[in-house]
Amino acid sequence: MINVENVTKSFRRGDTEIPVLRGISCEIPRGAFAFIVGPSGSGKSTLLYLIGALDEPTSGEIHVAGRRLDEVDQAGRDAFRRTEIGFVFQSFNLLSNLSALDNVLIPYMPIGEAARRRGDAIELLKQVGLEHRLDHRPAQLSGGEQQRVAIARALLKQPSIVLADEPTGELDSENGAEVYRYLRRLQQEQNSTVVSVTHDRSYIQEGDLVLEIRDGRIAE
Amino acid sequence: MLRFAIGNLLSRPGRSSLSTLGLAVAIGGMVGLFSIAGGIDHLVASTFELIPGLLVQQRGAPVPLFSTLPADWQQEIEDIEGVSVVNAEVLVRANVIEGKTIISPPRFVLGVDIENRLRLKNGVYAECMEEGRFLRPEDAGTTNCVVSRQIAEEFGRSVGDVLRVNGYDVTIVGTYYSGSMLIDVSILMDIGTVRSVSRYDPDSVSVYYLETTGEIDDETVSRRIEQHFADRRLAEWDPSSAASRLIGPEMSLTDLFRNLDTLAKAGELDRPAAERSPEEDSPEGGENSERDALSESAADSVSPVEVRSADDWADEFENFMTDLDLFLTLMTGIGVVIAVLSIVNTMLMSVTERRIEFGILRANGWSRGHVLSLVTFESALLGVVGGLIGAALGWIATHVVNWTFPERIHLHAGPGLLLLSIAFSVLIGALGGAYPAWHAARLSPMEAIRRG
Repeated sequence: MINVENVTKSFRRGDTEIPVLRGISCEIPRGAFAFIVGPSGSGKSTLLYLIGALDEPTSGEIHVAGRRLDEVDQAGRDAFRRTEIGFVFQSFNLLSNLSALDNVLIPYMPIGEAARRRGDAIELLKQVGLEHRLDHRPAQLSGGEQQRVAIARALLKQPSIVLADEPTGELDSENGAEVYRYLRRLQQEQNSTVVSVTHDRSYIQEGDLVLEIRDGRIAE
Repeated sequence: MLRFAIGNLLSRPGRSSLSTLGLAVAIGGMVGLFSIAGGIDHLVASTFELIPGLLVQQRGAPVPLFSTLPADWQQEIEDIEGVSVVNAEVLVRANVIEGKTIISPPRFVLGVDIENRLRLKNGVYAECMEEGRFLRPEDAGTTNCVVSRQIAEEFGRSVGDVLRVNGYDVTIVGTYYSGSMLIDVSILMDIGTVRSVSRYDPDSVSVYYLETTGEIDDETVSRRIEQHFADRRLAEWDPSSAASRLIGPEMSLTDLFRNLDTLAKAGELDRPAAERSPEEDSPEGGENSERDALSESAADSVSPVEVRSADDWADEFENFMTDLDLFLTLMTGIGVVIAVLSIVNTMLMSVTERRIEFGILRANGWSRGHVLSLVTFESALLGVVGGLIGAALGWIATHVVNWTFPERIHLHAGPGLLLLSIAFSVLIGALGGAYPAWHAARLSPMEAIRRG
């Protein structure tokens, strides 16, 4: 399902080129629950964002569901993120001036489908235990609640792939465990592929795919 | 998207308010400035609507006050085919009323041939009577007068009261109100009385106001009148004629002041061209023989009179308005540039602060175009609100000014100007947001999110 072939990624800082990924190749089957682990600065998040078409690799190819991402135009990549990918970030990344419900509906606002999806969004917020928090702003929610809103936002589009970047990084262990419970339920119920970057290996279960990155390469 | 954009603006109330206020001031200024032109336009249109007839005046005279024509041309004009009624008018300034020197707004004493005036279908003043009555034939030779409501109110007079004008007592028999600042400035009396009290040449009139039969178009009638008098000799109105009579070719400064003094003592300077006979203006004497020849030559081909319709006056104003509009556009431009810079600054700061937000939106499938639309939409919203407030402020200001100075200034901010200013405000709002929007759309979503 996700096929990464010899991907490199470098960033420029002034005249200096900093290599982050140095030729990564891996495969993540459809419906897998995968973890990308490794020390800070090893390139975990960079790989995740490249899979999510938020950026382009310096070289190499990424195939998702048979599509080679670097051959997809900008509009196609935007549509890919809108329909296929659900992102969950460490710092929740909710918009402060929108309610929980509107944050969930963000992907559908610019295409005029927010009203049509409203019922589904409310249902999802109920499923994550936030039925009484629909109109609350992020500042009125706890960290765990904010991450549940972010999960509901990722799930609304029924994505084939969920990309989670340290989703428990700012949560206590109880809320962290709950986040992974939701993600695993999604994987099982919708056969979605979940790829999560984490430092905390305690969430890894038997049968999960683990990709360890060290210095921009997959560690053997 | 609209709710989202409004929410974004409301989440930064201070900055949004200041930016809106800056735009509102610029748009208010624009409405205010263009209401000057609008006021003149409106005034001219509404005034000439009330005066549908033709005006025969001395060629070159900028306004009827400076025109002088022979009084015996009235019958000749009446006999021209297409002419229905001709009313001779003598116009002089009311320099002093009730001991008060009148400068602004100006007041005029208008002498009319009462019998002919009453024959006009649209006599302007008779149709606009408010109190009392209009002049009657029996008022000929008397000092009975009709005054505008403004003049009556200014000097606390009403029908039946006496008003002292240029040293003469006149009796008010009626007041009129036309609503036009250009018309509501007159004291109407019998033409003979006006000539007498203002020492106006009895053989002259200022202008002839005429109505046509309607069977022939105004332009043809005008041409016929001008052609009819083409062979007559009448000095063309010359703005420097008064000065040239004061300053001879070899006159010293002492002579100049002596002459000025003499003329002032004789009251000569108080008399506009209208108060002198046409012959006085005719150049005579050997030293001016060359100019005489030129004048005669010109008289051969050019009629000494010109006939003006309401459209002609409107055209003249139109020329003036074009220049005025250019000036007003430049003035408005300064305010608009400041407003645009304010919008650009506000939106650029907003965009810089919201990098993470745009990254989140991009991660959730928003395209660059969507982000660009959102930012442009927000700045256009500032434009809408700024435009509405500015237009309202400008509109209110014009009314306050009109109410405060009813006889001096007439500003007019019509629906067209208000709608245009709001549309313009939206446009500059959107344009002001264009660069920040482009800047926001170019942000790398990954970089933006990582910064978060």
